[in-house]
Amino acid sequence: MSAYVFDPCEKCEQMMQPYLDRVLTEEERREAETHLDGCAYCRKRYRFEEEFRQFVRLAVTEPMPPELKAKLAALRTPL
Amino acid sequence: MSEASESSARQLATDARDRVRFEEEALDLSDQVYGVARRLVGSREEAEDLVQETYARAFRSWRSFRPGTNLRAWLFRILTNLNIDRGRKAQRTPDQQPLEESDYFLYNKLEETGGDGSTDERRVVDRLSQNDAVTALADLPHDFRDVVLLVDLADFTYSDAAQILDIPIGTVMSRLHRGRRMLKGTLAASATRES
Repeated sequence: MSAYVFDPCEKCEQMMQPYLDRVLTEEERREAETHLDGCAYCRKRYRFEEEFRQFVRLAVTEPMPPELKAKLAALRTPL
Repeated sequence: MSEASESSARQLATDARDRVRFEEEALDLSDQVYGVARRLVGSREEAEDLVQETYARAFRSWRSFRPGTNLRAWLFRILTNLNIDRGRKAQRTPDQQPLEESDYFLYNKLEETGGDGSTDERRVVDRLSQNDAVTALADLPHDFRDVVLLVDLADFTYSDAAQILDIPIGTVMSRLHRGRRMLKGTLAASATRES
């Protein structure tokens, strides 16, 4: 994270993606959570981001056509 | 039966058993492979072709898969390589790169255009349309879309995505973060137009 960001909400915004991806260091994670505990503005936006990811996943997921399953099974090596 | 032919028959039986297991495990992953393939290409037909090519190649080269390693990542590597080989340059390419806004931008826009000042987050996300999400994803530049699909749709780690796409992990992180911001930027623009 950049050391030149002084607005705590701006810094929290920059930490949001790695925080939700669980790739922050322990120290960074604690820093984000300390800020989130006291900041409803950022908390709302983090919660929205989680829901947004779930929304996108559902919105773009299309079930596999059943006939494709049969076609794939037919590609198997005959015994 | 001689000792040599007995040993060779045993080897054949082991091979056949390993191959059957490999093919069954690979087929169990086909829904996930199709899910990503469908968003890598423009149509259902193309996605079906791509998935069939992926499995045909996987079954042909099953011996190159090392048991105990990540079969899902191995399959997705075939999928993404085939998609590049098929000449995705010919596929729909966005006219221009979507705007990349800050991470809070979409929420701020939706809240701003919500009208009733409601702070119910469920309703905020529900203001987005499914079709807009599909279009916004299709409008992402290929390199960004590949990473977003592998991590956000197929649940691969940064490190698996890096191996599948044969790019450094830092590039995965940067494309993923920027790709998600572009996605949100495009959806913010659609939501603002529709409100």
